[in-house]
Amino acid sequence: MDRTGGTRKRSVVLVALLGAGLIAVAAALNVSFIVENWRSGLLLLLGVASFAVLIGGLVLNTTFLIREIRKSEQHHAFIHAVTHELKTPLASIKLYLQTLQQRDLTPDKQHELIDTMLEDSERLQLTIDQILLAGKTGDARRVDNPTEVDLSDIVDECVLLAGKRHHFVNGEVRLVDRVPQGTFVVKGDRDELVAAVTNLVDNAIKYSGDRVKVGVELVRIGARRVAISVRDQGIGITSQELKRVFRRFYRLPAALRLRVHGTGLGLSIVRAVARRHGGRVYAESRGAGQGSTFTLELPLKSS
Amino acid sequence: MSRVLIVEDEEHLAAGLKLNLEAEGFVVEVEENGQVALERLTSGSNGFDVVLLDVMLPGLDGFEVVRRMREAGTFVPVMLLTARSHTDDVLRGFEAGADDYLSKPFDLSILLARLQGLLRRKTWLRDSEEAGQTEELVEFHFAGKHIDFREQRLRWDGGEQPLTLMEATLLRYLVRHEGQTVSRKTLLEEVWGVRQDTDTRAVDNFIARLRRYIEADPAHPTHLQTVRGVGYRFVAEPSA
Repeated sequence: MDRTGGTRKRSVVLVALLGAGLIAVAAALNVSFIVENWRSGLLLLLGVASFAVLIGGLVLNTTFLIREIRKSEQHHAFIHAVTHELKTPLASIKLYLQTLQQRDLTPDKQHELIDTMLEDSERLQLTIDQILLAGKTGDARRVDNPTEVDLSDIVDECVLLAGKRHHFVNGEVRLVDRVPQGTFVVKGDRDELVAAVTNLVDNAIKYSGDRVKVGVELVRIGARRVAISVRDQGIGITSQELKRVFRRFYRLPAALRLRVHGTGLGLSIVRAVARRHGGRVYAESRGAGQGSTFTLELPLKSS
Repeated sequence: MSRVLIVEDEEHLAAGLKLNLEAEGFVVEVEENGQVALERLTSGSNGFDVVLLDVMLPGLDGFEVVRRMREAGTFVPVMLLTARSHTDDVLRGFEAGADDYLSKPFDLSILLARLQGLLRRKTWLRDSEEAGQTEELVEFHFAGKHIDFREQRLRWDGGEQPLTLMEATLLRYLVRHEGQTVSRKTLLEEVWGVRQDTDTRAVDNFIARLRRYIEADPAHPTHLQTVRGVGYRFVAEPSA
């Protein structure tokens, strides 16, 4: 027992000494290596560092380049879309005016043409308002001179106007529940809020194709917030695109494929309006073809 | 009575065009989807004399409709109508095989005049007596090739190539001025009836297409020669 204990102790010491010796030799070698080769080592280090910087720069550069290309493509597409949205109703108005000027038409037909021209001028005005509002809401973070705005009033108005504009007679766009006036009052800019809700309702209609069934709902969220939800049964949005749709100029690939007309400004305006009112907007959808719900959440006026 | 197909997805414009064309005595049909229009136009006997085609269409865009029409051998004259008036778009339209191009918003009288122009050229090609042309221009033989202007066809031993209205009209103009140099501007004015700001490159696209049909080596043309800085010259029997 003693003997084996002594042997073990001795071998431990031996191993420890050997280890220490090896470390000392390695350290000495290393130190002498560093002393002798520090210049080339430093050069190597500098080389690796600058290489890393170069690669990093290249990656950054490429990323920015791709982003810029995308932006310029989006701008290009935006200019195309706006050109189309402005020129088409204008072409129609001009054609109808020249028709009225050059042709002998019955009074009924004349009225019909005038009604069409009014619709076209409305469309033209909406596009122009949209562009101006995008400029305005994109600039500042807050609403100037906020007033008290009754949301149930706004929602009523938007649903009514959308129905009229699209000649709906069978309740294609309807309020889910009528809320008594004065229930939900927020502080803000009435015109901006009308534009935001109109955009949501118009989008719901535009992306529904032939089966328009849009429900608009006004509900309380907790004690201090109110939400306007616009639900449709249209083309839906994939999960990757739920956030992207709010970017300025962004248009759904499916929308482009289906040639749904638009400028790519609408939802970016809704988002800007939401933020300027201290609220937010988000989209939900179970995927392509599954319809979608857009919710605009706003803080209620503090009483 | 001429039959017109309007391919336009903007309801108001389509209705306005229909009203006016019907008042001018045309038989008018409207289609709003590019794909459906293409199917109608390429199905055997579509019977249309001219097509008014919008570019931004659901289903298939106008450029693609006209390109596939030509590929399928349908050579009804096509006038593109579009909000895109950029030179590149105009060229793209001609390249695809369109015969004329009008940008929105347009003048009703100009639209009608251009439409009549297309139809006139068509009958002018078909019926030379009415247009007071001499026999030789109904058809033309050169270097083993035979152009039948009435049928809008180019034939050679063992093959044939249908020509679009504008290809046939341009070729006919060049043949009539055989051996003379004609400028791009003259061609645009005389063949297309375009007097405004259309890019003269439109002509180059058509010449390139014609060369593919008639030249043994389109890269080194002998019949359809380029006259540098001026225009083009057609030579039926090149000397060397």
